[in-house]
Amino acid sequence: MNEKLQDLKIKALQFAERYKYIVYPLYYIAIIFLLYILIYQVLILRVFNVEIQYDLDYSVFLRERTEGITYLELLLTGVWTTIKISFFSIIIAMAIGTVLAVFRLSRVVILDVFAKAYIELFRNTPLLVQIFLWYYASDVFLPGFFTDWFYQQTNIEFAYGMAALATYTGAFIAEEIRAGIQSIPKQQMEASRSGGLTFIQAMRYVILPQAFRIVIPPLINQSLNLTKNSSLVMAIGVLELMASSRFIFDETFRVFEALSVATLIYMAMSLLISLAINMYNKYFLRYITY
Amino acid sequence: MKKLLTVLFAMTLIMALAAGVATAQEKSTLEIVQERGTLIAGVKDSVVPFGFVDEAARDLVGFDVDICRYIADELGVDLELKPVTSSNRIPMLTDGQVDILAATMTHKMERDEVIDFSITYFMDGQKLLTAVGSGITSYEDLAGKKVGSVKGSTSEKNILDVQPDCEVVSFEGYPESFLALKQGKVVAMTTDSVILVGLKGSDPEPENWEIVGEAFSIEPYGLGLPENDSEWRDFVNFTLIKMWNSGDWLEIYNTWLGPDTNYYMPLTWDMEIWP
Repeated sequence: MNEKLQDLKIKALQFAERYKYIVYPLYYIAIIFLLYILIYQVLILRVFNVEIQYDLDYSVFLRERTEGITYLELLLTGVWTTIKISFFSIIIAMAIGTVLAVFRLSRVVILDVFAKAYIELFRNTPLLVQIFLWYYASDVFLPGFFTDWFYQQTNIEFAYGMAALATYTGAFIAEEIRAGIQSIPKQQMEASRSGGLTFIQAMRYVILPQAFRIVIPPLINQSLNLTKNSSLVMAIGVLELMASSRFIFDETFRVFEALSVATLIYMAMSLLISLAINMYNKYFLRYITY
Repeated sequence: MKKLLTVLFAMTLIMALAAGVATAQEKSTLEIVQERGTLIAGVKDSVVPFGFVDEAARDLVGFDVDICRYIADELGVDLELKPVTSSNRIPMLTDGQVDILAATMTHKMERDEVIDFSITYFMDGQKLLTAVGSGITSYEDLAGKKVGSVKGSTSEKNILDVQPDCEVVSFEGYPESFLALKQGKVVAMTTDSVILVGLKGSDPEPENWEIVGEAFSIEPYGLGLPENDSEWRDFVNFTLIKMWNSGDWLEIYNTWLGPDTNYYMPLTWDMEIWP
């Protein structure tokens, strides 16, 4: 009898090991459920006699805000704006970051100093301050004819938000790319220079392609940060996800519903990006050898 | 794993044994304030002339502040002011962090479902503020243009109701919205006309700005009070009526919005008086 039990135990462990992607999440759900029963139902409700008076009302999303636009459509507009601003900002940020990283590694002192100054300036100030500086303080420096034309365009807040996010994240990306490039053995650079390539050509054809394979996980981490930082641009009036959910709970007072949906959407976006990292690590980086 | 669960069980049992009974005492805010000796009022801190920081005296002053001070004097307690914004004023009241809200809050039906309001202590309407010579005379001229507003106020929805073609840019506070108007990023700004008067009057060059259009929404201001607290609400209403009858309300009005100030608004309304 004991042998059969042992066999079953081993079989069960093997099953759990094989299907761990399903079994482990089930473990976590079971623990969370147990904690919920213990802490909430037993302790708070029965022992301390505290009732949480709040009627969950998710149908608020179907209410109309103005002519024919429900709150759900407002929220989806916000999600789309967030995706757009994150996508374009990350592309520009990667371009800025690459250029700055190459500046930092070149032997021309002016470029090195300029890149260092840029990185230190944009990394050490808060993003909200930078957003306000871009939006309000840039008016002082821009020429009159440009502002006359520019301010007539729609959605200049989106442009300013994109500029602030891209320059801020570009500074972080520059440091990561520089670390990635410096992790490529120096012999590569020496070999390509002695083979006749100039510095820029060596960077473009030999070093950077190798460095990018290493540097993509931190880059995706920075794009995750940028997606979450994009919620700050609501301070200058961009109608993105955080601003939309604020409109919803400012006008309907359903704070929990609005914020829970916003949290879930941000989590979903971040988890998708994290999933991309994990799959990338699994399938591409196992071939990196030195 | 087993050990963790055992520890959790033990903690639950200990807390169950040590727990007392939590009683929810229904005390009126009136008694709470009198016992505490201080009235905590939520006021705006950047809206001229209702609640703003006076540069000379370096403290919060304004029309709303004076109304709260009168109520505190009626009770015989001190006054403590807490700055609030348009978005967090109602949560601060429902959480119990303030006893009364005097924060340029319009008495709206959807807000009344969550908190209670006193009788109207100020009547206003929503208008537009633009630069002189911009060609905007009413909300019809705003089609296809950008309008500035503030998050959490009634203004952003009202302007979309009357003019669905405009682009509403919502900022965090009235000064930020006015700064965008000054830089030309929005062509007009919309909110309650008395706040526009305050913004225009506090600008270094008030003659560059004008308030145009007729009021396209009515904004009766009410003091925010905790829900279902009849004693407190009665006290506040009686105090407001007493203020009107004795002429103190008019005095406070003339201090901030009278003919001698920068923010002159003629009085065209009477408070509802109960005998």
